[in-house]
Amino acid sequence: MSLIRIEKLKKSYQEASGKLEVLKGVDLEVHPGEMIAITGESGSGKSTLLHMMGMLDSYDSGKIFYSGKQINIKDNELNEFRNKRIGFVFQSHYLLEDFTAEENVAMPKFLATKDFKKSVLDSRELLKALDLDDRRSHYPSQLSGGEQQRVAVARSLINSPEIIFADEPTGNLDSKHSDELINLLMDLNKTHGQTFVIATHNKEIAGKMDRCYILENGILKEETK
Amino acid sequence: MNKIVLFFLKKYISSPKREWLRFDSVFMVIGIIISVATLTVALSIFEGYETVLKNTILGVNSHIYIFKAGEGNLTNEEVEQIENELQKHDGVENTSALIVTQAMAVNGNRIKGSIVRGINWEQQELPSKYKQYVLEGTWKLNAENSAVLGYKLAKELNLHVGDNFKLISPMNSKVTPMGIKPKEEIFTLVGLYRSGMYEYDSKFIFIDREVMSEFNSMENEFTLVEVQLKTDWIERADYIAYVWEHEFDYKYQISSWVDFNSNLFSLLKMEKWVIFIILSFLILIASFNVVSSVTTSIIEKRTELGILKAFGASDKILQQIFIGKTLILALLSVTFGQVFGVLIAKFFSWQKFFVLKGDVYFLDKINVQFGYISWIIILGVSMLIVLAASLIPLKNISKLNITNIIRKV
Repeated sequence: MSLIRIEKLKKSYQEASGKLEVLKGVDLEVHPGEMIAITGESGSGKSTLLHMMGMLDSYDSGKIFYSGKQINIKDNELNEFRNKRIGFVFQSHYLLEDFTAEENVAMPKFLATKDFKKSVLDSRELLKALDLDDRRSHYPSQLSGGEQQRVAVARSLINSPEIIFADEPTGNLDSKHSDELINLLMDLNKTHGQTFVIATHNKEIAGKMDRCYILENGILKEETK
Repeated sequence: MNKIVLFFLKKYISSPKREWLRFDSVFMVIGIIISVATLTVALSIFEGYETVLKNTILGVNSHIYIFKAGEGNLTNEEVEQIENELQKHDGVENTSALIVTQAMAVNGNRIKGSIVRGINWEQQELPSKYKQYVLEGTWKLNAENSAVLGYKLAKELNLHVGDNFKLISPMNSKVTPMGIKPKEEIFTLVGLYRSGMYEYDSKFIFIDREVMSEFNSMENEFTLVEVQLKTDWIERADYIAYVWEHEFDYKYQISSWVDFNSNLFSLLKMEKWVIFIILSFLILIASFNVVSSVTTSIIEKRTELGILKAFGASDKILQQIFIGKTLILALLSVTFGQVFGVLIAKFFSWQKFFVLKGDVYFLDKINVQFGYISWIIILGVSMLIVLAASLIPLKNISKLNITNIIRKV
C-alpha cells in the first residue's frame, strides 16, 4: 500500500490580474522507503504541493490519502497528525532562536509527549548520530549554516515520522554543505528506510533520488532517468 | 498549567535576549505601574482616613449613650440602677456618668463656644479615651477649678498651660436688678487634649464632674451615662442599644456610636468604591498598551509561531504561552505599582506642606492604610483587565497561515 496518494489535487490563488491556477489536478503516489524529488522552476508550485501533502495548506479540490485513509485539512486532530507522522525540512532552518540545538530538536517530541527529559535524551542521541554532539548546547546563532540545517533535519526525525518533506533543503547552503546534507538524507533513507519527498530545482540532487517528477504549468510529470 | 506552556515561560524569562525589556513591553509595564500606583494611593489614603476617623471617633466617644427619655437629667438613683444593670452584661467594659453642657470660654477679648464635659476623672478606666489624649500638662483635675482644653481651642484663645480663663454659661443665667447675668467662673488650664479630631480638639473642655455639677447647678443630676463596650461588641452597638432600651422599659433614650456616625461611614465607603471604579479606568487605558504589546509580540514571533504550528503546537497552547507571558509581566507590574503607590501615599502622610483642613475633613493629617482586601481587589481587577486586553489580539494566532510565514521569510 502507498504511504501517500494524492488524487487530482487542485490549487489556485486569486490575484489582482485574475485567478492563478498553481496545481491543475496533480496525482502522485509515494511508497514507504522511497526518495522522491519534485523539480520545477521557481514559482512552479513545488512548495505549494509539498505544503499541501504535509497538511500545512488547504487545497481547492482533490484528495489526499495517508496509508489509504483520506485526510481532511480541517480535522481537529491535524496538529497531532502532523506532529507524529510528518517531518519537515525547509529552505531556511527555522530553528527557534531562544532554544539550544538539543531543545530545538526535542521540541516536536516534547509537544507530543509533554515529557521534556525524555525528549531531550532522544534529541541528544539524534544529534550524536548526526555528528552534532558537541554543538547540542549551542543556540542557532552560534551554529554554521550547514550545522543549522543538520539540526533542522534532526528535528524532523525526532518523532520517527513516516515521511519527511524537504523543501529546497540545500537552498541556503554552499555546495560542500549541500552535498553533506543530501548524503545525510540518503544515508538516513538507506539505513532507516526513511521516506523523503524533496522539492528542489537542483537537477543533480534530483538525479540521486529514486524517482523524479517535474512540475510544469500545474501538471506533475514523472521524468525518466 | 500545561507543561509545555510552563517550559516556554521559563525559557522566555531566562532568555539571554531579555525580551521582557522590549520597547513596547516597557510602555505596557510603565502604564500599568502608573495606573495601579494612582489607584493604590487613592484607596490607601481613603482607607487610612476611614480607619483613623473610626478609631478616633471610637476613642474619643464611648460606644453607647444613655439619656433620660424626654426632658430632664438622670438622677443619682437612676445612674446607680443603670450601672448595676449594665455590670451584669458580658459586653460592657466600663461605664461612667457625666455632665455635658455648652459654655463660652473667654480669654481677654477672645471668645469661643465650647462643649464642657464634667467627668469623673478619678475613675480608673473611662469609657472614652481622655487620659491618653492629654499630651501636654496633666489630665488630673484635682486642683481647684482646673480644666483641660482641646489644643486647638486653647490655641484660638491664646491659652497656655497654667493660664486662667473664664467660663460663661448662659444657660445658668440669673436675673439681677442689673439685668440677666450669666453664670461665670475662672478656671486654670492644666492640660491640653489632642485627639486628632478637629471637631473635638477645637470644642472640648474637661472639668471635674463635681465642679461641673456646682457650676451648672445640677446637684445629684447627670446628663448621660457613657458605656464602653468590649472590642467584639463594638460593631453591634446599635443592636445592643436597641435591646437595652427594651430591657429598661423605654425609661431611657439609648443611642450608639453607629446611630451618630453610620451615614458618615456609609458615605466614605461609597466614595471609596466610586473612586475605585473611576480610577480603574486608568488601568483600562493602560491595557491599550497591553493590546499593542501583545500584537507586536505576535508579529515579531510569527515565524516561531508558524514553525511551532507546523510541528504540531495547537493554537490553544500558543495562546496560553502569550497569556502566561503577559500575565507574569502584568503581575510584576501590578505588584510594583501597588508598592510604589503605598510609598507615594506614605510620602503624602509624612510631608507637612499639604495638610487637610480639619474643619472640613474632621482630621488634619493624611493617614495611610492599605489592607489586604484592597490589595487583592486591585490585583484581581488589574489582572482581569490585562487578561481581557491580551485576549483581543490572541485570535490572530489562529489566523496565522503557516505557508505564508514560511514563504515570506
